[in-house]
Amino acid sequence: MRPGGFAKYFILTVASLAALAPVYWLITISFKHEVDQFAVPPKWFSFSPTLEHYADAFLARSFGQYLLNSLVVAVASTICALIIGSLAAYSLARFRLPRNLDRHLALWILSTRMFPAIVTAVPLFLIMRDLRLVNTRLSLVIVYTGFNLPFVVWMMRGFFAEVPRDLEEAALVDGDSRMGALRRVVLPLVAPGLAATAVFCLIVSWNEFLFALVLTQTDTAMTLPVGIAGRVTQYGIKWGAMSAAAVVAMIPILAFAMAVQKYLVRGLSLGAVKG
Amino acid sequence: MGILLQNITKRYAVSVVDDLSLEINDGEFVVLLGPSGCGKTTTLRMIAGLEQPSSGEILIDGQRVNDLPPQKRDVAMVFQSYALYPHMTVAENIAYPLRVRKLAPTEIQTQVNQTAAMLEIESLLSRRPRELSGGERQRVALARAIVRHPKAFLMDEPLSNLDAKLRLQMRGELKRLQRQLGTTTVYVTHDQAEAMTLGHRVAVMNKGQLQQFAVPLEIYRRPANRFVAEFVGSPSMNFIDGRIDPEMRCFTADGLRLPLDIGTTQSGASNADQQPGRLRSSFEEITLGLRPENIEVSNAQQTGMIPGTVYVTELMGSETFVFLDLASQRLIARAASDFRAEPGATVWVRLDLRESHFFDQVTGDRLSLPPSITTPQPN
Repeated sequence: MRPGGFAKYFILTVASLAALAPVYWLITISFKHEVDQFAVPPKWFSFSPTLEHYADAFLARSFGQYLLNSLVVAVASTICALIIGSLAAYSLARFRLPRNLDRHLALWILSTRMFPAIVTAVPLFLIMRDLRLVNTRLSLVIVYTGFNLPFVVWMMRGFFAEVPRDLEEAALVDGDSRMGALRRVVLPLVAPGLAATAVFCLIVSWNEFLFALVLTQTDTAMTLPVGIAGRVTQYGIKWGAMSAAAVVAMIPILAFAMAVQKYLVRGLSLGAVKG
Repeated sequence: MGILLQNITKRYAVSVVDDLSLEINDGEFVVLLGPSGCGKTTTLRMIAGLEQPSSGEILIDGQRVNDLPPQKRDVAMVFQSYALYPHMTVAENIAYPLRVRKLAPTEIQTQVNQTAAMLEIESLLSRRPRELSGGERQRVALARAIVRHPKAFLMDEPLSNLDAKLRLQMRGELKRLQRQLGTTTVYVTHDQAEAMTLGHRVAVMNKGQLQQFAVPLEIYRRPANRFVAEFVGSPSMNFIDGRIDPEMRCFTADGLRLPLDIGTTQSGASNADQQPGRLRSSFEEITLGLRPENIEVSNAQQTGMIPGTVYVTELMGSETFVFLDLASQRLIARAASDFRAEPGATVWVRLDLRESHFFDQVTGDRLSLPPSITTPQPN
């Protein structure tokens, strides 16, 4: 190995360890008895594992429900945001409006993400209350869709713009309608972009804490982040249940990202999908 | 029948296409020829329906199609970039127009195979566009256009992305294919060789305006103006600015004096002469045009020849191009393949004015000379 190569690998190893160490700690805590969790010196490998925290979290308490809520809310809001946002992005990428209205519109859409989200917390609560949607999953879906839309529009606009106009024009002259051309020709080509955007939307929705806290009150609608944080009580911090829940919370996102990673790489590198 | 363009204008900030009128007959192969930016591709796209004319009418088979979207016009387009769908196989690409029309899958299969056989691409049917060479992609694009038997083919410089040898080969195949299918074709190119060899008729365009619309030979022999004369023909026509002396019946330019009373063909307005040129009363500011093949070059002096100096020669193998200076004019001449001369050498030149062309120096329009100047006078 060349000297430069060695340094590169060394740095990468250190960085990986630094990034993965907390995750490893989290996983091991979830399997350790309470007495082992904060033993000094720390027990990295030599402990007898237990499943009691998982049982506690999912059977005795309602983490299963939180997981379900998180899944439903994240998936639903991602799908809504992708559909609405992609259609908007397609129009913005393809059609010209007079007086540069399309450019102004795109900027305005992005601007809705430029202020701190917490500013809208109270107004949104009031709106949801008037709609009688407080403490429902629907309210979270609506809010998360709203927050994901600008991101989807901006990401997908770039991907749509990369598809050569020629292809759609060829589809039109071949006899297809605009929507047909979109469905059969354009969408397959922006699929990597959709996958990358979907992953980001899912992660944002999955991890979202503030609005879940504000808009949900009981187990019916509470999501994982709020549920896990709720393990911090005045009687003590239930590290075991928290970490068990956190480990389980990681799994769906990881699984999805692994499933779409082929598309993710292409989408993230904004590479040209040249046929 | 066919395609009719009536006073088509397309305006952005300037007129990209300016008052263009063309009548294309059923089954005819018409080439829109011109330099980049002359409006030929815009015109093609307006026929396809991908762009709307600012004013004017487009009729296909007698039906006004201005308001008809591209999918309903029943024309097929071959793009310069081929525009093959990258995520579909060759078979799926060719099948696309039929699938969109909801034909039965078995029927689609038959048509695709037939068309692939016609273009000799059956072996490529399961491949993707990115695995194909340029020539193969071009055939797939053609197949996709042919498979639905449209009213017209619209081709936008389909050969320009191919290397020279393949271009020549595909040119011949395209011509044979079109003659065999008999489909009306509008073909856009900036390559005058393609235009001359492929088209039944050629429409030469410049800066959005139609310059001349005629059969290739007419365009070559009787160009309507200096632009057409210069654009068509390789190597390009030679131009000499000067004036005509009506009494002496000769053309004079810097250091040159060329007699005209030898019965020039272009002034003998026959019935077939569609571009007789304008007659002028003044003989100032006239440009003489002469094609390289009408300039005879020789190492030995012969009667009626004038001396010139060689600038450079290009040995093409089948012939030799001679760049020479005559008085203060730089001319190109075609010589036999065995002609040799060193730069700076003196050669003897005869300009065959029977095949000469005259243009107005200012407007570029073709001019006719009155017989009084050109008819040989009995001595």
